[in-house]
Amino acid sequence: MLDGLVQLGNAFTVFANFTTLFNVLWATLAGILIGSLPGLTATMGVALLTTLTYQLPPAQAILILISVYVGAIYGGSRSAILLNIPGTPANAATTLDGFPLARSGRGGEAMGIATTASMMGTFIGVLFLAAIAPLLAEFALRFGSYEYFWLAIFGIVIAGQMTSFDDALKGWISGFLGLMVAMVGQESIHAYDRLTFGIPDLAGGLALIPALVGAFGFAEVLTVMKNRAPELAARSVGRVLPKLSELWRYKRTIGRSGVIGTVVGIIPGVGEDIGAWISYAAARRGSKEKEQFGKGSIEGLIAAETGNNTAIPGALIPALTLAVPGSAPAAVLLAAMLIHGIRPGPLIMIEAPDFVFQVVWMVMLATVAIGVIGLLLTRPLLQVLRVPRERLMPVIFVLCVIGPYAITQRLFDVYVMIGFGILGFVLREMKYPMAPLVLGIILGEILDKNLRRALVLADGDLTPFFTRPISMVLWIATLLVILLALPPVRRGVSRLLRWETAA
Amino acid sequence: MQDRQLIRADLVTGLILVAFGLAVLMEAVGMPRFETRRINPWTVPGLVPGFLAIIIAVLGAALALRSTFSAALRAPAPALDPQEAADVRAARRRLLACLGICLAYAAGLVGRVPFWLATGFFVFAFVAAFEWQRDDPPPARARKLAIAAVLAAAAAILVPLLFERLFLVRLP
Repeated sequence: MLDGLVQLGNAFTVFANFTTLFNVLWATLAGILIGSLPGLTATMGVALLTTLTYQLPPAQAILILISVYVGAIYGGSRSAILLNIPGTPANAATTLDGFPLARSGRGGEAMGIATTASMMGTFIGVLFLAAIAPLLAEFALRFGSYEYFWLAIFGIVIAGQMTSFDDALKGWISGFLGLMVAMVGQESIHAYDRLTFGIPDLAGGLALIPALVGAFGFAEVLTVMKNRAPELAARSVGRVLPKLSELWRYKRTIGRSGVIGTVVGIIPGVGEDIGAWISYAAARRGSKEKEQFGKGSIEGLIAAETGNNTAIPGALIPALTLAVPGSAPAAVLLAAMLIHGIRPGPLIMIEAPDFVFQVVWMVMLATVAIGVIGLLLTRPLLQVLRVPRERLMPVIFVLCVIGPYAITQRLFDVYVMIGFGILGFVLREMKYPMAPLVLGIILGEILDKNLRRALVLADGDLTPFFTRPISMVLWIATLLVILLALPPVRRGVSRLLRWETAA
Repeated sequence: MQDRQLIRADLVTGLILVAFGLAVLMEAVGMPRFETRRINPWTVPGLVPGFLAIIIAVLGAALALRSTFSAALRAPAPALDPQEAADVRAARRRLLACLGICLAYAAGLVGRVPFWLATGFFVFAFVAAFEWQRDDPPPARARKLAIAAVLAAAAAILVPLLFERLFLVRLP
C-alpha cells in the first residue's frame, strides 16, 4: 500500500514541468473542441493525435492522447446541451436533460454542471484506476492461454450485446468481423501470409489506426454531410458557475454514477456511452423527482455526465492490465502505447509499474484542465459550434488522409482508411455498432495465438477450456450473455421475475 | 433507414455474410498444413480463420432467417409524402457528392500531385460544392466562391507548414 503511494508520488515528478502543463492545456482544449463538434468523436481525436505525436517522448505523447480523450468526452456535452446533438456518442444521454435546460435559458448552468459532474466522475474513476489496476494485473498473472481465449470471446460477446441497442446479433456480427479483419496478414506462429491474396501490402495486416480513422473519421464525415445542418438552440447561456450546494444535494447520484461508470468502463469494448445510459437509468430509478427526468433534470444531467467520464479511467484499467481495451478510444490508446514501446498486459506492474501511476496523473491533470478550460472559456468555446460544417468537414478529411500516412508513409494505409470509412458508414446506416468491430481487431491476435497454444498444451483436448476455474467463470458468463440476449429467454426470465414479485 | 428497408438490407447482408463465411472457410481449409515441417497439427494457420468463418456464417444465417420471418417484410411499404421523398433524395445527393469529392482527393490526387496542391483543390471543391445554391444571385455566388478560394489557399499553405514543421510528420 505504502509502496503504491511512493510510486504514485514518484510518478508525479515526471510531470512537474512546464512542457507537461503546456501539453495538457492544448491537448485538452483540442479534445474539447473535437468533442463539441458533432461528427468528431473521441476515438477519432485520439487516433489522429496518435499519428501526429509519435515523434514525442512516450510519456508526453500518451499524456496528450489521454488529455484529448478526457477533453473530448467532456466536450461532447456542449453540443448535447446547446444543439440537442451529442458531440460524441458518449453524450447522448446528456441531451435528454441538457437540451431542455438550455431551451429554458439555463444553458450556462447546464454547461457548468456538466463540467463539474465530468470532473467528479473522472476523479472517482481515477481512484478506482489507482486501486484496481495493480490488483487486476496481479490477478491476470494467473491467466493462461485457455483464459485468454475465453476473455477474447467474452469481450466480443458482451461488447456486441451491450453496445448494440437491443439487437445483439448485429453487435456480434460486428465483433466477429473485427476478429476476422485481424486474421489478415502474417500469422504469428508459422509466419504464413493469411488472406492476403498475393498483395504484399497486406502481409503486415490491416493496421488498427487507419481502420479507426476510416470507421470513426471518414464515416462520420459522410454521415454529417448526408444529414441536415443542425441549429443552435440557445444563444444566451446565463450563469455558468454551478452552486456547490446543488452538487452536494446530488452526492448519492454522483457516487452511484461513479461506480456504475467504472464497472461499465472495465467491461471490454463497452465504453462511455453505455456508462452514461446505465447511470442515467439508475439515477432515474432511484430519484425522488422522477417526473423531472427528460424535462431538464439537474440530477439526470449529473448522472449522464458523471457516468460517461468515469468510464474513461474505467476503460483504461483492462487496457493497461490485460491489454484488452475497455472502450473504442482506449483501443486506440492501447495501440499508441504499443507504438511507443510500452507493453500493456499482466506484466505491466512488474515491467513498468511507474507507467500505471503516470497514467493516473495524466488523467488527473486532464481533469483539472477540463475544469479550468470548461468554466473559464464557456463563451469563446461557443463560437466553435457556429463554424459551418461545409467548411469544417474538408479539413477533417484532410486530417484523415494525413493521419494514417504519418506513421508508415504508405499510401496503402490511406486506402485502408477509405475502405473502412465506406464499410463503417454502410454498417452504421444498417445499425451495426462500431465498438465491437474495433475490439475485434485488437482481440484477434490474442484469440488466434491463445486458441492454438491452448490446443497444443491440451493436445486437442477441450476439457481444460471448460474445467479450469477462471475459464469456467468466463464461459458461463459468455453463455449467460448469449442466452439473455435471445428474445424467448428474455421473455421467460421477465415473466419469472414478475411471477416472483407477485407471489 | 426505414424499418422495412432495414429488414430487407438485413436479409441481403445475412446472405452476403453466409457467402463470405463459406468463402473464408474454404480458403482456411486450403491453407497449408506444413506436414513436411512436422508442425503440431493444432497450430495450422487455417484453424482460427476457419473457426471464425463458421461463426460468421451462422450469425449471417440467423440474420437472414430473422428478417425472412419478419412481418414487416411482407407488409406493403408506406408511401413517403413528397416532402420526405425530396429530403431523402437531397440526402442521397449530398452523400454522393461528398463521397465523390473525397475519393477523387484521397484515391486520385494524393500521391500523384504535390500534397499542398491536391489539398487546395479538394478544399475548394468541397466548400464550393456544398455551399452552392441554385437560386443564389451572382454577387452571393461570387462571394461564396471567394470564401472557398481563401479557405483552400489557407489549407494549402498551413497544412504542410503545420505538420511538416511543427509535428515533423511526412506528408504524402
